Amino acid sequence: MNLVVTGVSHHTSTLELRERLHFPESALPAALMKLKTALDGGGVVLLSTCNRVEIYACTNAPVHIAQDILRRFIGEWHGIPEQDYRDSLYQYEGREAVGHLFRVTGSLDSLVVGEAQILGQVHDAYLVAQSEQCTDKVISALFQRAFAIAKDIRSQTNIGAGTVSIGSVAVDLAVSIFSDLAGKTAMIIGSGKMGATTLRSIVSRGVDNVLLVNRNHDRAIELAGRVRGEAIPFDQLEANLPRADIVISSTAAPSHLLGPAHFQRALRRRSNEPFFVVDIAVPRNIDPAVKRMDNVYLYDIDDLQTVANANMEARRQEIDLCMQRVENGVEQFWAWLQGLAAEPTIMSIAAGIHQLREREVQKLLAQLPELGEHDEQARELIAASFKRFANAVLHQPTVQLKREVAHQDPHTVLHLVKRLFGLKESP
Amino acid sequence: MTLAIDITFLVAVCLYVVAAVMSYVYLQGGKNSVLRATHHAVVGGAVLLFLLFCMRWATHGRLPLTTMVDVLNILILTATAVVLPLVRRENVRALLCYYAPPLALLAVFNGIVGRASLRTVPKELNEAFVAMHVGPVIIAFALFFVASLTGFVYIVQAQRLKSLRTNATPAKLPPLEQLDATLFSLIRWGYPLFVVTLLLGFFGAYLFPEELDANWWRSPKILLAVATAALFSFSFHSRKLGLLRGRKLAYVVVVGFTVMLAIYLLLQSTGLKDYGFWSASV
Repeated sequence: MNLVVTGVSHHTSTLELRERLHFPESALPAALMKLKTALDGGGVVLLSTCNRVEIYACTNAPVHIAQDILRRFIGEWHGIPEQDYRDSLYQYEGREAVGHLFRVTGSLDSLVVGEAQILGQVHDAYLVAQSEQCTDKVISALFQRAFAIAKDIRSQTNIGAGTVSIGSVAVDLAVSIFSDLAGKTAMIIGSGKMGATTLRSIVSRGVDNVLLVNRNHDRAIELAGRVRGEAIPFDQLEANLPRADIVISSTAAPSHLLGPAHFQRALRRRSNEPFFVVDIAVPRNIDPAVKRMDNVYLYDIDDLQTVANANMEARRQEIDLCMQRVENGVEQFWAWLQGLAAEPTIMSIAAGIHQLREREVQKLLAQLPELGEHDEQARELIAASFKRFANAVLHQPTVQLKREVAHQDPHTVLHLVKRLFGLKESP
Repeated sequence: MTLAIDITFLVAVCLYVVAAVMSYVYLQGGKNSVLRATHHAVVGGAVLLFLLFCMRWATHGRLPLTTMVDVLNILILTATAVVLPLVRRENVRALLCYYAPPLALLAVFNGIVGRASLRTVPKELNEAFVAMHVGPVIIAFALFFVASLTGFVYIVQAQRLKSLRTNATPAKLPPLEQLDATLFSLIRWGYPLFVVTLLLGFFGAYLFPEELDANWWRSPKILLAVATAALFSFSFHSRKLGLLRGRKLAYVVVVGFTVMLAIYLLLQSTGLKDYGFWSASV
């Protein structure tokens, strides 16, 4: 039984290549069935996200053959020549494959370390494989173990703490000021890309009124149409400022568009309700003196980047702790997997012992003619006693054999045990 | 019964102290189990204070609302009763860790300074409306106390947001908007209640002048009550009109109420608060 993984990720490939190798959700069942046939049974899971395309397989085929099948399959399925992706491909087997899956699921291999999405994506990939009956005992145990470790990492470490993108940091700050972004009004000044990204993050949290201000009013109308917002003429900026709870500014203006006096007047008109202001423009559009005002919370691009970097650094500091958990998980899973190799031998030994037990029980009952046919209870007690004895005799060797197989060379250990119990060697 | 009262009082104080210590631990580590334990300690302390109130009432057959130890116990108990529903929701639970230490401080102060009056027989409040006057005054004070604590948390959260120290402690504080709403709703309930009970007191003084000193209206207790009413009148109306909001309002409430409370405790502990203050001094 061999575990292998083959794939490409953001570490080894360009986005363009990952786009070419991507498996759409609708294609997964067919791809899984084809893979299962090619591997001649076993278990297989296909994970395809924007950052990685990976195939996990558990097969009886030798490792090099299995890896060859997986490598060729990726190209053949997409009709891409192997030389286009061969150098970007990585292949792991055995413990390395297990560790890789645990790192991926635990978000330690992600582009943004600690992001929560990957756990759901791996889970979905596993469910598709399960529904197509492409999982076996080993693959199921492997993925269940991966989910448990990922959850443990998320709950017991700070790997997912804090947000690490400018947009998410802005949202975090906004929700530290407003209880609920639903019903709030956001004003975006200018049409910079970063501003639009930040606006999207904030709108995704429920902001439903968007005011768009642009020097080019036609452009504002066009943008307003896209986000179902309201276009405001540039000369009406100050008049509309009190309507906004959130202000995002990202124009190319060479000087400040808004200063303390503008916000002072706006605050008076909105009964001092707080403003959340994000100035992403360089040079800045909003006078930094506004930061000192009460009820105005102004952040520039450096502020947001500082928070994002601090959060990312905090996550990085957790990686060692997480890797320790992954290593422990690999160790435990590997011991369990190796122990599986002993199962047929254990079953043979158990069968032999129980046969012997049954024989001895019959012999004993034959030697006790005084136990009449009606004394069923006594017969059952004797049989149960022998059974308990046999199980007790088997328990320690079974546990020890699994342990030895996990830590020593399984072939040597099993060969010795089979000779000891007079069992036939499997072909 | 006396020993039972002493033990109940001391254990209640200890539970508040434990809650304060656990609040600190929670703010450092952010573990939910510690927050739950803090909650249990506060609830335990409040239950014991309520038990103490009942025991004092049963022992002397009078509502225990007049001695220092009783007033502070009821203040802590009522403040706890205000706090517990406030911190019920998931995103505001961490607030408890800002409420518990000042409650503990007050409990310890009462344990040290007020304990002596634990054996004092409460004055008889034979007129129904006098009892109706004293009880709501304490409730209004409890609301102001919790309002000032909420104001303090607002200042902390606003400062964190201004200086971008949002991850200074693992415990997540509620949004400013929610803190502002909580602060205002506490003032909105406390201020009218306080004014009504103050007027009720004045009405009582008019009805029963023989029970009071001629200078009762300028006794420290009355002056302090009027000053408190003025402070919260200003806070309430300026917030209602939108003139004062956010950090400035929080500062007014925190500083104003802290000064009032400090003066009250000073007057209480030195026995100078009563109606006979001026005539006694002259």
